[in-house]
Amino acid sequence: MEQNGRIAILLTPTVLFLIGLFLIPLLVMGLFSFREGSFGEAQTAFTLRHYAEFFANEAYLRLLGRSVVLSFGVSVLTVLFAFPVAYYLSFFAGDKKYVLLTIIIVPAWVSYLLRVLSWKVILGGSGALASFLSWLGLAQEGGTLLLFSPEAVVVTLLYVWVPFVALPIFAGLERIDKDLLEAAYDLGCNRLQTFWRVTLPLSLPGVLAGFLFVFIPTVGEYVTPALVGGPEGIMFGNIVRDQFLRALNWPMGALMSLAMLVVVLVPLFILSRFVRLSELAGL
Amino acid sequence: MPLALAGCGVDEDDPDVEADGQLLILEWSGYEATEYPQFYAPFTEKYANNLDEVVEYSFFADDAEALAKMQSDIGADLVHPCNSWWQLYVDNGLVQPLDTSRLSNWDKIQNDLAAMGQFNGQQYFVPWEWGYESMLVRADLVEELPDAWLDLWDPQYAGHVAIWDSAETNYVLTALALGFDPWNATAEQEAQIEQKLIELKPNLLTYWSDYTEAYDLPASGDAWIVAGAWQDAYAYLESDGYEVVYVQPEEGRLGWVCGFGLSANSGDLDLAYEFLDAAIADESMAALANEYWYGPANTASLPLIDAYVVDFMDLDEVDTLTERTVLYRPLTEAQRIARTTLWDTVKASP
Amino acid sequence: MKRSISLGSTYFWLLAIFLYLPIFLLVLFSFNDAESLRFPLSGFTVRWYQALLEAGELLQAAGNSIIVGVWSSLLATILGTMAAIAVVRYEFPGKQLLLVVAALPLVIPSVVIGVALLILFRQLVDVELSLLTVGLGHVVINIPIVMLIVAARLAGFPTNLEEAAMDLGCTYWGALRRVTLPICLPALFAAFLTAFTTSVDEYAMSVFLVGTDATLPIYMYSQLRFPRKLPIIVALGSIILVLSIGVILFSEWLRRRDAVGEVSEPDV
Repeated sequence: MEQNGRIAILLTPTVLFLIGLFLIPLLVMGLFSFREGSFGEAQTAFTLRHYAEFFANEAYLRLLGRSVVLSFGVSVLTVLFAFPVAYYLSFFAGDKKYVLLTIIIVPAWVSYLLRVLSWKVILGGSGALASFLSWLGLAQEGGTLLLFSPEAVVVTLLYVWVPFVALPIFAGLERIDKDLLEAAYDLGCNRLQTFWRVTLPLSLPGVLAGFLFVFIPTVGEYVTPALVGGPEGIMFGNIVRDQFLRALNWPMGALMSLAMLVVVLVPLFILSRFVRLSELAGL
Repeated sequence: MPLALAGCGVDEDDPDVEADGQLLILEWSGYEATEYPQFYAPFTEKYANNLDEVVEYSFFADDAEALAKMQSDIGADLVHPCNSWWQLYVDNGLVQPLDTSRLSNWDKIQNDLAAMGQFNGQQYFVPWEWGYESMLVRADLVEELPDAWLDLWDPQYAGHVAIWDSAETNYVLTALALGFDPWNATAEQEAQIEQKLIELKPNLLTYWSDYTEAYDLPASGDAWIVAGAWQDAYAYLESDGYEVVYVQPEEGRLGWVCGFGLSANSGDLDLAYEFLDAAIADESMAALANEYWYGPANTASLPLIDAYVVDFMDLDEVDTLTERTVLYRPLTEAQRIARTTLWDTVKASP
Repeated sequence: MKRSISLGSTYFWLLAIFLYLPIFLLVLFSFNDAESLRFPLSGFTVRWYQALLEAGELLQAAGNSIIVGVWSSLLATILGTMAAIAVVRYEFPGKQLLLVVAALPLVIPSVVIGVALLILFRQLVDVELSLLTVGLGHVVINIPIVMLIVAARLAGFPTNLEEAAMDLGCTYWGALRRVTLPICLPALFAAFLTAFTTSVDEYAMSVFLVGTDATLPIYMYSQLRFPRKLPIIVALGSIILVLSIGVILFSEWLRRRDAVGEVSEPDV
């Protein structure tokens, strides 16, 4: 009984806050996808018109698919880049590990916009990378190298996300009982086998958490694609934003967001068959 | 007297003019009375004492954002949208008809522009500034200057054209390039516009979305042609020593007009009218034109404007503006959604 | 062993260069005597920093962001920590549902949350848009972040610590305050900092919730309209970077100083 009281006290403020300022507005937003228009009388008329329109538009569906693929690629790459660093910090960096970890994270404190603008400077035709390469004789003067392409989006997002992903992976590795590794050595495993059979499986929750940290928001990303993506690097988030901010077509914007939510939740759901969600949170 | 009272917390009989009321203006950034007092000279001089209390701002970066905020009634007294959105404000009852007799400078507003602010036989908007949208070209990088909107599709510019990420602009310029009426296109013509825009992709470097890009893209040489660019981007590049040309396309430059609307539930009409009248005063409009190279709605301000701005903008030929320029027109909600859908479909297509 | 250390540290420093190069460029451009961020450099100047001192609106926006960041992150840290304690320590009906709901703000594009909250504040209840509404929005997206970080730490130490404290005469809340919170302090600090960072950089949602006072990102994006003001913003970014590094060095110094006193902590 006493315990129920404690749970109630601990949970009530957060639950009330989330219901009032998140769930209710979100439901209202979800209902918008069935509405005729954004304002006035059109708000009260219900319709499935937007659903028909959305699923009839092949270009929209194609872009959604492409964005999921691109987000997936970015997430995998980011994990691959971040894992060795987290591994090094956790196992080999000794007492310096927190300082070094902080070094990795500080760049994330500079405004996102400024960091993306800086990448524009690096990747541009007369930019830093192009000048450097032409100085080396590897590229010709004046060619637009990487900027305004899907690749530029991948590089920039990779840059933005690496610090955020290193963190959960590092936390996951830190939780591994180092005695287990000793035990594996004692049982005759070499370093590679130990990594493969012990470290990696145990670090998986952290890796998955890092993966989702990137994958989920990247599907809805629009600032980076707009600034460095060019015609081929546009993502689904850009047209969702257009529907909300340019057309004021809130019903379609709400529907597109729902579509995005579904494609994000499906992999999450599949994952949850293998890993308990709460494990991802480190519980 | 003010000096003697300066130390007191409350000073109730201050002899200087201080407005009782307060205006909340929904505005683009770059027009703040506190930062650019010269744009509203009579008003800002009169209330110089407590200007930052008299005028408060809420900013928007996009016309759609301004309309959404007005729909949600954020309590603005004045709003500064552009003319293709004006009809929606009137239809949704967000602005009230103006009593132009309360504006001493009203008669100096150019007639064609004033007419654009009229709906249902009443004046709803005070046109304030106008400008062009055209092709900004790095003349030293192209072999041949484009002279029509259709030239954007010319393969000789492949990979070096940047167009504005604007459904409205791209729809209109493509309609013009195809010889259609941008405000009365048939469904079949719309399908052609969509197809034509998809065909532009091989020529595109990128879509530009903000002014800084309109400047940086041609400055870096990455883009040779920036379509939809405003004349002040040209002015900046020119003054920085770049060899640029601001094209007068065969089909005509595009043109926009923006202006002030008075919110339907404005709390302080006297102050709002005073502000509006100050904004269209000769010296205010001239200051705006000199700062940003914008066309002033008040043509009596011309003598106060720098000669090269008058010359470049053809301010002395403003009577023919509507004939030689394709000015944007009010769009209904359905039209706006249709154009955005068309443009988003283009962007989403391979 | 030695070889892998050098391999690891080589990789670490390469990655660090990758992460710092763009930022180094920004600092470089903040002293460059040209309006656009582009090579070649035109000469050294401190005029952007001088202009920054006079950019009242920009500094005010930065101040607003700090205020909103501090209180919204504090609130998010308190709410998120309480929920995290309940979730880690107790089983109760609807726990999985709560976890999913609490994680949703991470999954939903922040534009959507922004519009949803705009509708709530302006059409369902009558709340003026202000820094308060922006901050409340930031709390929504920061609660899951705080929960994740704090829960991870809580899960790492056994429940019986609290029980032991209660056996020694503490009430449950006393045990939380005297035992649990001190142990979680680094996590609370990390959670607060992460929430603060998110809040100070949040744009997509804030656009819809901001009233007459702009936050820093809102102001910065609006200034993209004026190419000539970009370097001033870059100068501000450079200062923020230097300050951040200062804060980190300071907290590292604090940590080392404290570390002397808590050598035996793991054996508690």
